[in-house]
Amino acid sequence: MQPDKEFSPQDSLALIQTMISKTKDSFADNTFYFLFWGWLVFGCSLVSYSLKVLLHYPNHYFIWWLIPVGGVITWVYGARQAKKERVKSFVDEALDHVWLGVGLAFFVLVLVNVLGSQTWQTAFTYYILLYGIGTFVTGNLIRFKPLVLGGLINFVLAVVSVRFGYDSQLLIGALAILISYIIPGHLLRARLQKNTSQHA
Amino acid sequence: MFKELDPILHSQLRLAVMSLLIGVKEADFTFIREKTNATAGNLSVQVQKLKDAGYIEVVKQFKDNYPLTTCKITPKGIEAFDAYVKALQQYLQVGKG
Repeated sequence: MQPDKEFSPQDSLALIQTMISKTKDSFADNTFYFLFWGWLVFGCSLVSYSLKVLLHYPNHYFIWWLIPVGGVITWVYGARQAKKERVKSFVDEALDHVWLGVGLAFFVLVLVNVLGSQTWQTAFTYYILLYGIGTFVTGNLIRFKPLVLGGLINFVLAVVSVRFGYDSQLLIGALAILISYIIPGHLLRARLQKNTSQHA
Repeated sequence: MFKELDPILHSQLRLAVMSLLIGVKEADFTFIREKTNATAGNLSVQVQKLKDAGYIEVVKQFKDNYPLTTCKITPKGIEAFDAYVKALQQYLQVGKG
């Protein structure tokens, strides 16, 4: 851009529109989190189900120790990404807060389940509810329908899950995470990659 | 009677920077340079002018030994941008009639 003497109001308006369109609806690629947590929880649920129901292994819940490991990996990844971040949109900021809230709620729920009695019977109901809140809000903020739909289906699955025992809830939880994280995560990644290659 | 267009904003590159920053929480210097296609030297000068006017906040820091300059619009900047757009509208409406 050159310094200019004659810069008309029409030029100004056109420039403002062009620049605003460059940041409009922009958000950082957050598909890593959906795919990482999606596949991790999906895998843990199925392994836990297999160990408990099929193999009758008494310490079947050991597999869930991978979750705090996942937390550390996510934290390291997030810190590295923050360093690379060149622009932060309001949507990015809102998403940070939503997922921080959801993450804290997961942590609290784990404590409730560990400290309470009989709480494991409904543990997955609330986990599914939290997946749903996170993906429903994210999907609406970034205007990505598969995430919104995944969130809505999770709200239904949360209700359905109370009618089942813990073993079946493991499978319902796996289904919920498949619908709300894994499938929308892959679809979103494909869309973002397509957009990047178009703009390259 | 026309409102005078704010001379700080009525300049192509400074207006481009402000229009970018109005839509985001913050952006770094490289991002702004890429989006405006400006040279680093010219952009530095214009960013400094916007900073001096109190329209943007500039934070200089180091990340992994690389300098990183982050820019963010201030409430005063938002107000000035808003007033500038209103003044533009006035010009354009008169132009139509």
